[in-house]
Parts: sequence; C-alpha cells; structure tokens
Amino acid sequence: MRKLVIVLLSAICLVLLGFTLSSFIHVFHYNLSAPADVGSTNKSGYRLILITQEMDTPFWDKVEYGASKAAAKYGAELEVWGSYGTNQEDFLKYMEIAIASKVDGILVQGLNTDGFNQLATVKAAGNGIPIFTIANDVPITDSLRRTYIGSDHYKAGQMIGEQLAEDLGHKGKVVLMISDHQEDFQSKRLDGILQILKFYPDIEPITVVAGDTREKVVAATNEVMNKEPKVAAFVSVTANNASAMVQEIGKRAQLSRFHIYSFDDSPEIKTLLKEKKMSGIIEQSPEMMGELGVQLMVQWLQGVTFPLKYEGYYTDIRLLKADELP
Amino acid sequence: MNTVQKKILSLTAIVLFIMVAIWFILTYYNQKMQDQYNDILQRYLQMNEVSASSQQLVTSLNNYIQTPTSSKLSNVESDRQRLLDAQLQIADLRNNSNRFTLTNYLNLIDSLVDSTNRSIRLLNEKNNEEALNDFTEATRLSKYISEMTLTLLGTELQTYDQFYRGMIMQSVELKKLGVWMLALITFLLLLFTYWFSLSITRPIQRLTQAARELSRGRFDTHIEIYANDEISFLAKTFDRMRININNLISEIQTKAQLESELQKNKLLLQESQLRSLQSQINPHFLFNTLDTLSKKAYLEGSVETSDLLTSVARLLRYNLKRLDRPVTLYEEVRVLREYIFIQKTRFTERLRFEEEVDEACLHVQIPGLTIQPIIENAVIHAIEPLEEGGTITFRVRDEGSEIIIEIEDEGSGISEEKISHIMEDRFAGQEGDGHSTGIGFGNVINRLRLYYGREDVLAIQSQVGKGTKVILKLPKEREAG
Repeated sequence: MRKLVIVLLSAICLVLLGFTLSSFIHVFHYNLSAPADVGSTNKSGYRLILITQEMDTPFWDKVEYGASKAAAKYGAELEVWGSYGTNQEDFLKYMEIAIASKVDGILVQGLNTDGFNQLATVKAAGNGIPIFTIANDVPITDSLRRTYIGSDHYKAGQMIGEQLAEDLGHKGKVVLMISDHQEDFQSKRLDGILQILKFYPDIEPITVVAGDTREKVVAATNEVMNKEPKVAAFVSVTANNASAMVQEIGKRAQLSRFHIYSFDDSPEIKTLLKEKKMSGIIEQSPEMMGELGVQLMVQWLQGVTFPLKYEGYYTDIRLLKADELP
Repeated sequence: MNTVQKKILSLTAIVLFIMVAIWFILTYYNQKMQDQYNDILQRYLQMNEVSASSQQLVTSLNNYIQTPTSSKLSNVESDRQRLLDAQLQIADLRNNSNRFTLTNYLNLIDSLVDSTNRSIRLLNEKNNEEALNDFTEATRLSKYISEMTLTLLGTELQTYDQFYRGMIMQSVELKKLGVWMLALITFLLLLFTYWFSLSITRPIQRLTQAARELSRGRFDTHIEIYANDEISFLAKTFDRMRININNLISEIQTKAQLESELQKNKLLLQESQLRSLQSQINPHFLFNTLDTLSKKAYLEGSVETSDLLTSVARLLRYNLKRLDRPVTLYEEVRVLREYIFIQKTRFTERLRFEEEVDEACLHVQIPGLTIQPIIENAVIHAIEPLEEGGTITFRVRDEGSEIIIEIEDEGSGISEEKISHIMEDRFAGQEGDGHSTGIGFGNVINRLRLYYGREDVLAIQSQVGKGTKVILKLPKEREAG
C-alpha cells in the first residue's frame, strides 16, 4: 500500500514535471523582441514618392513595379501614394503632404489643373523638391516640372490616325471622344490624330466632348450616333471613357461594324480588346516608365544626369490590334 | 544528529525556497511583460501627443491671429515647444517598417512649425492676408499630421501584430504554466510530506510494536531501529530499560527461589517440632515419672537402671529444647554419649563405640540434633540387624578451616543408587520411622545444608558389605547467606 502510494505519487509528479517543462519551454520559446529598430541599410537613400490618381489599376501597378525595381537597384526609398478613381482632391492632398514631408523627389501623374500647377510651382519649387511627371504630362510652363517620363502622346495620336486612315480606306466619319478635362496628354493625342487626318480630306473627324462620368459618356455617345448615323469609327482619346462608349455602341448596333480605338491606360481596356469589342489600342510601357522615372530621379539628384531633357524621356509605344491577339 | 525539528525546518525551508523561486521567476517575467506593454503604450502615447500638440498649436495660433497679444504669443511659443519636444521623442520610434513614414512625419511637423513661424512673422509685418494663408496651410498640415498619426498607428499595429499576438499567446501559456506548476508543486509536496512523515512515523511504529511486546511480557526481543533522530535515541534507551527489567526479573526469580527454600526449612523445622510434640504427650509427667523411676531404682539398689533412666530423661529434654537454635558441638557430643550409654545397655557387647574426639574442636556451633540421628541411623542399619553387632567409630578432628566429623560403621553398606537418593532427598515422606527423636537422615542433611549454605557439608562413603562412612565437613566460620 505504502509502496503503491509512493509509486503513484512519483508517477504523477513525473507526468506533471513533463507538462510543466513543456509549458516552460513554450513560454520562453516566444522570442518577444520588438521589431528591429532602425536598420542602418538604405539610410542614405533618397526618399522618393510616386503619386498617382489611379491606384491599383493594372497600368499603374506596372508603373509601380518598375519604379520599385529601380528604387531597389539604386538604393532609394520609394513609396507609392495615390487616390482611387481619379479623386483629384485626395490626389492634391497627397501632393501637398509629399511636399510638406520634404521628400527628395516626387514622381507624379500629371494633372493639368490650377491646383496641381500651383502646388508644383509654388510649393515644390519653393521647397526645392523636383517633380517629374510620369505617364501623363503637364505643360512645362505651367508646372515647372523637371521632366516627363512616359509615352509620346503626339506620336501615339499619329499612330491611331494612320491606322484609321488605313482601316477606313481614306474615307468616312470618325468620332473623336474626348473628356472635358483639358489634359495635356489628351490634347497631344488629339493633335496627333488630327494632324494625320488632315492628309485625308475624305475622312471627317467629329470631336465630341463628354464629361467625366459614365452617364455623360453614354449620353454623348447616344447623341453623336443619333446625329451622325453613318459613323464608321470611334476613338476614345481618354481611355477611361472607352468602356462606357463601347457598351453604349454595343447596345445600339453591332460592334463589328465599327472601328473602335483607344489607349491602354484604363483598367477595362485590355478586357474589351480580348473580347474583340475594340479594334485596337495603343499599348504603352508602364513598367519602363516607372523604372526610368526612378532611375532619372536618382541620377539627377546625384548630379549624374544633368541637365535633363525638358521635353521628356519617351518610352516605347506600339499599336495592338484585336486581330493580332491569339 | 538529525533531529525531527531539523527535519521539519528543512522541509519548510525547501518549500519556502521553491515558492520564492517561482515567485521571483513569475514576478521577473511579469515585470518584463509590463515593461513591454509600457513601451508599446509609450509609443502610442507619443504619437498621440504629436497629433494633440499640433492641433493645440493651430488653435493657439488661431487665437493669436484673432487677438494678437503677447500672452497669446507665448501660448503659441509654448505649444510649439511642446510639439518640438514631441517630435524629438517620436524620432526614437523609428524602425524598419515605419522609417519612411516617420521621416515624412517629422518633416511634416517641421513644415507645420515653419508655417506657424511664417504666419506670425507676417502678422507682425501687418501682412494679414499672407498670414492667414499660412495659417490655413498650418491648419491643413495639422490635419495631415493627425491623419499620418493614424497611418503610423496602423503601421505600428501591423508591424507589431506578430509581437502582440506573441504576447497574448505568451500570457496564455504563462497561465497554463502557472496551473501546471501549482499541480506539480502540490504533488511534489505530497510526495515529500509522505516520505518525510514516514521517516518519522515508521520508527515510532516499530517502537510501539516493541512496547507492545514488552507489555506482553516478552523481554528478550532485541529492539533495533535504524533512524538518525531522537527516535533512535528513544529506542536505545528503551532497549536498555528492557535489559534492566530483564535483569531485575531474573534477580527477583532467584530471590523468590531462596525465599521458598527458607520457607521449606521452616516447614521442616515445624515438622520435626510437631513430631516431637506428638511424642511429648506430657513432658513433665514423663520427666517426673522417669525421675521417680530413676530414684526408685537407685533406692532399690539398681544403680545401672537409675543411670539409664537419667540418660533417657536427659536425651528427651535435649531433644525437646534444642531443635530451633544452634548448639555447640560439645553439647551434641554429650547428648551423643547419653544416647550411646542407652544403646549400650540395650545391645551390650554387640555395640562397640569408639571415640576419637579432638576436644579443641568442640566449641563450634552446629544445628541441634544433627549427629545423634546419624549415629542412630548407623545403629539401626549396622548394629540391630547383625547378631554379632559391630563397631561404630566417631571421629572429630581439626583440618584447617574445617572440622571434620566422621561416623563410620561396619554394616552391610549402602548402594550407590541409594546414596544418591538419600543425597537428593527422595525419602522425605518416610523418614524418621524408627528413630527415637523422630528426626530422619534426610531432615539432618537438609538442615545442615541450609545452615551452612553449601551442598557438600555431608558426604556418604559406602561399599556394599563393608560398611558406611558419613563425613561431615563443618566450616569453622559460617558463610554469610
């Protein structure tokens, strides 16, 4: 009896000891060191900020990807800020914060508004912060931007114009749908198209100014189709309007009857092209833009690349036709 | 020596030590956690402080713009200082994931301070328009600071997410550890206490067992307890007591034996007295009658008969008086001579009595009526049955520390077997028959042995057909006890 009690107690003690030890190990296993304080790496790196109006679109994701790649390569710190769905107020706020935060350089999607220009000229230039426009340019005179990195929109317009002339057989009516925002890239594209079409007197370009919202685009499309039933081609100069326009056209007639063109800087465009609802788009090189932008910024800050070309650094563009897709 | 007290003290000390150790560990650990919690809280508080002080700065700046007084200005300045202090502190919160934002944050604060300063300067220059512009900017910046504080807090939460979860898990584990530890200690203590109590109670149980044995009267089982405390001391003492009691008891037993022997002696004396009383129906009458007979015989001219009667009377008187106390050998020899005189009258020429007595030895004391019965015995066995009679030789001589008395006859002798019977007192029942005094040989032997306290006081040498020799060795000094 006595032996049994002792053996039993010892066994219980051993089991409990095991549990206690394992619990003990568990407790002290958690290495509760706070996340590392300042790492010394990249400390001397430039602080760059990329600001866009269209966060998380495929186009800007690529820009961001390219920019991060270049930032990592050149040891710069990069943060991407941006508003969603072209919220200008937020966008300008980010601009202001970036300037007030005294970053070393700002890469920004150009926005041709007074607010933007005011910030760029007065605040940024006043604080000595360089501003590069990326993808979308603004007139240099208004904004005092250092340079532009992105597509040559004038040339892109020309490519569309040439394609139109080829598709229409030098004859027919073309609707050029533009936004009422007088963006620099839009006017350049329009200029490019019109410049080519001038050589084909039988092609009649009709410029339609639509608003920003979907409803306005739909209304404008309706209106022009009512007025000009014999339109053969549509060009959405601002890519953001393309999807609404295509949808409205599709409602009223067979899409295949028309030649529809646009640019690739809108999230819906690629889908429309894949569904063959569009004839072709101008494909730009967003990744290249991001990469080149950061590279130039760092090099300029280091004084390697000096002076900068004021007219800008153009990235590749090419015409992507629906027929050529697999 | 390990005492029970020491044992209890050491157990208590061990328990106390364990408790204190655990308490220290847990307290240390808790303290560590507390510090971590404090650090975290500190971070949040510092960030909040920036946000709050920037808003405060804007408010006081606003007040100053409304009514520019020096007290308001000093308000602005103190708020600005507070903001700068907060900025200094927040600079320490830098880590890998918030570095960029934090730098922006610090610069934002700088910008806010710049705007404030500019606004005040412009106000002093009476350029109210521009001052208001800068104030608006300061307001906006303050708003941005607040927003960025939230961003920072968010980043903080994200960065420290793993850490916080770790802390929560750890505290849960700590709780578990506490429970396990409590259980472990409980059982360890149970085990220890059990073992400890056994080490105390087991010797006590053995002792109890031993005490029970003693109480049942078994004093010969050895008590042995292997312990290293007072119990073993108790056990040793107990054992010694047992041995002492054992000795005492054996002593008492010997004493009791002695007592019973004494009792027996008394009984023997009483018996002989009783026998004498039986024969002493009326001693005075008998003496008087014997006296009268002696005188009558003398008057009638029968001198021999008269002497005979006198001897008988003397013998009878001696016999009655001298039984319970020692007499001198001289008296014994006198009575013996009376007796021999009587017997000679009876046996005439058949009884020949030879005496070799060293008169110097007759002063020693011996029990009364010891020699006469032996002589009478010789007469009865060696003279009476023989027609030609025999010689009885009586010798008393000094032999250093002893006086040797020999009574020798020439009778038919006694067999070895019978001698040993006599010596071992087997005839107790039938002795005394045919003796004039009623006192038998066995009675004599016993009395002599008791009187001198030794066994070899009397010896019988005999050969069948050649006679018997009874030898008494009487020590001159009676041994004590």
